[in-house]
Amino acid sequence: MTLELENVGRNINKQWIVENICLTVADNECLALVGPSGCGKSTTLRLIAGLDPVSAGSIHIRGRDITSLSPSERSVGMVFQSYALLPHLTVFENLELGLRVRGVPKPERRFKIKGILDLVQLWNRADNRPAELSGGQRQRVALARALLRDPEVYLLDEPMSNLDAQLREDIRPELRRLVLEQRKPTIYVTHDQHEAMAMAQRIAVLHEGRIEQIDTPYNLYHNPESLFVARFIGRPQINCLKGDSGSIRAVRPESIRFSDEGLSGKLQSREWLGNSQLLFLETQQGVIRMMTSPDQGIPAQIRLTWRAEDEILFDADTGLRSRR
Amino acid sequence: MPLLILLIPSLLFLVAVFALPLFRYTWLSFHADSVMTGLVAIPNQGANWQRFIHDTRYLQDLFQTLRFSVVSVTAEIVLGLVIALILHQPMRKRALIRSSALIPWALPTTVMALGWRWIFNTPYGPIDRLTQSWLGQSLNALGEPSIAWITTVYADIWKTTPFVALILLAGLQTIPSDLYEAAKLEGAGSWICLRRITIPLLLPYLGLALMFRLAQAFGVFDLVQVMTGGGPASSTESIALYAYWNALRFLDFGYSATIMIGSFVILSSLILITWLVVTTARNRSQQSLAR
Amino acid sequence: MKATRFLILALLVWSLAPLTWQLYTSFCTDQALVTPFASLNQRWTLDHYQSVLNSNPPFIRYLLNSLFVGGLSTFLTLLLAIPSSYSLSKMGRRSSLVIKFFLIGCALFPYVLLFLALLEIARYLQLGNSLIALAVPYAALSQPLAILLLTNAFSDLPAELEDAARVEGLSVVQRFRWILLPLISPAIASTAILVFLFSWNEYPIALTWISDSGKLTLPVAMARIAGSSIHSVPYGPYAAATVIGSIPLILLVMVFQKPIVSGLTTGAVKG
Repeated sequence: MTLELENVGRNINKQWIVENICLTVADNECLALVGPSGCGKSTTLRLIAGLDPVSAGSIHIRGRDITSLSPSERSVGMVFQSYALLPHLTVFENLELGLRVRGVPKPERRFKIKGILDLVQLWNRADNRPAELSGGQRQRVALARALLRDPEVYLLDEPMSNLDAQLREDIRPELRRLVLEQRKPTIYVTHDQHEAMAMAQRIAVLHEGRIEQIDTPYNLYHNPESLFVARFIGRPQINCLKGDSGSIRAVRPESIRFSDEGLSGKLQSREWLGNSQLLFLETQQGVIRMMTSPDQGIPAQIRLTWRAEDEILFDADTGLRSRR
Repeated sequence: MPLLILLIPSLLFLVAVFALPLFRYTWLSFHADSVMTGLVAIPNQGANWQRFIHDTRYLQDLFQTLRFSVVSVTAEIVLGLVIALILHQPMRKRALIRSSALIPWALPTTVMALGWRWIFNTPYGPIDRLTQSWLGQSLNALGEPSIAWITTVYADIWKTTPFVALILLAGLQTIPSDLYEAAKLEGAGSWICLRRITIPLLLPYLGLALMFRLAQAFGVFDLVQVMTGGGPASSTESIALYAYWNALRFLDFGYSATIMIGSFVILSSLILITWLVVTTARNRSQQSLAR
Repeated sequence: MKATRFLILALLVWSLAPLTWQLYTSFCTDQALVTPFASLNQRWTLDHYQSVLNSNPPFIRYLLNSLFVGGLSTFLTLLLAIPSSYSLSKMGRRSSLVIKFFLIGCALFPYVLLFLALLEIARYLQLGNSLIALAVPYAALSQPLAILLLTNAFSDLPAELEDAARVEGLSVVQRFRWILLPLISPAIASTAILVFLFSWNEYPIALTWISDSGKLTLPVAMARIAGSSIHSVPYGPYAAATVIGSIPLILLVMVFQKPIVSGLTTGAVKG
């Protein structure tokens, strides 16, 4: 395993911002860190980059302990949320700065930058300042800077959050081509679960500074280990119903069916989503979300049911999965 | 920790220039240090403070300084608000107009202080000529004790109102314009807008300008020293000027230090009271806004 | 619209009329000043300017002295304040708040009251009559304002810019050279101009430190013209001196109106 985090934690004023983070990321693997804002996903990334000091645990890259090394000694390439391009320098100068302080001679600097800018298809904008570029172009410059280091690990901190929805979808294949083909361990921080599922082979869900579950996108959706993960992954959100003896029954909206018997309800509102429709049904158990095909008719007497194997049981007190 | 090292030189300088003098003054205030003692500090068991408490000239100067501060700062705030509202309007040649309005603030006080002496000169200055031809009598703006202090107030207002106006202008620029648009939709006139939107939201800036200006006006020195020299009949003499006379004219350093430490205590309590009044007023206006 | 125009006009008259009167005075003969309505064969003169410029020491000397002290103290102020504000902007909320309160307290303090102690220091260290030494208290007195303004500028910079530079391997000095200084240069300009104005205009400390007439700064030299007697001030030459002394500042305000305003206003908005 190339990147390993063992029980890593960060403590400020006796408060754990993140705690007991254990991760391993293989070569050629992209791991996404997701979670609500303030869950510690960016902090984890900063600990790996060496931007914040590690309070506990250790970090290894290819077996080398880098826990207490400075950021520049770690060989990480990082893309920041705001891209962190210097507004007073041109694209070329932005890329050149790191090479210059690392003592790369001038002809070689030019050769390398030309190569990278060709790769991200921005050589013709080399003499422009960041303000003259579009958001997507800026992001590619930031990426080019990370690629230029030829690092052991790639760290991407919400690289798409400043782009509009359409552009994000367009850029994803490009980002996969550029970063994942480097065959280096990559950590991708995002609050957008769709993006995480699209980019990563595995996803780690963080909650209040701890990892709730690390798994493949499929397993996170179908076999969540905790109520938090079940609620966090999947839109529209999973339905939670009160079960027997302090348990919670969670059912995905697409598993709900109309039937002749079962929970009775009343249609509150509906949302058309193009290839499907989302119904909000008022029942004794609260509002139930139901996802169904757009041509589904609404019966006069609404009764709801679902298959037993589609129901996931959680302990109401601990929030953990309880097995039958 | 290396962060603190970067701060240390500045803090050392600040302590040397602001804190050390206060300790030195406190120490000196318990010593006789004047021509009489050959400019050597000799302990005098609080005689300076005895004198300070019974010093009627200091009391008169304190009264004059407070009168000067309160009147000029009040006028500056009102006039500064008017000027800020004017400069906030869209206009052509805005930069040029703002620069022109700033000029009085940028000029050295002493330069214009002597200018005012000429302008208010009796009988040759333009103001005196005007009163002579219109009222048939000389105003004697710098020679008449009951008027001279107002003349110095006027000069101070002229110089520092631009500063107040700029701070208030900064405040005006933070007020979102949709507040006014919403109020206009409700049918509010410009007076209501000023009373209900501008002034409440400007209160922090008004408070800031008030505190800074009060502190500065309390230490007024340049203007008075050059414009009137404290006269006529000590009617415009400020505390700072009195302390200056004591040190450099009467060469009584011990008493000069006593005046300064005493004035520092008085000023600090005044600033504290102003601050308390301003914050409670702000809280109250925020409550009334919330309602 | 008309009312606004009238108010702007009133504002300009209020601000500029006294200076205009000084300008007028500076070109009038003494005769014309005393008897303005009499018909004179000679009303206009350049004598006042000549006497000011040819006096001993020449008036230009004071301008140069003030320029020197202003420049040196501005340089010293920035040299001290830039590292301090950087460290203040990186500090935790609570400790930076304590230091900011201390700085605001210092900025509120009427520094006139410090002249006696500063005079004692100057005498003790034999620094009187030294323009270089005069720049030191000026730099110290300017610290609170300079640090507060520059700290705001540093805090406004996106933290990610510096993070990215650290990942790239830039040292603190390199980060200052390539990132921090270029990006806060507008705030540095505002601070520099405000400090320069303060030093140029400062009176009580210069008055007590400098007695050598060749080393006077402009404000003190101006006051000295009147110093001898309250009643017989040579108003003509004085008005000429006012005009010459004001021109550099008026130019400064005209050229640097933007950074001055932004310096004062960010100080107010964030202070």
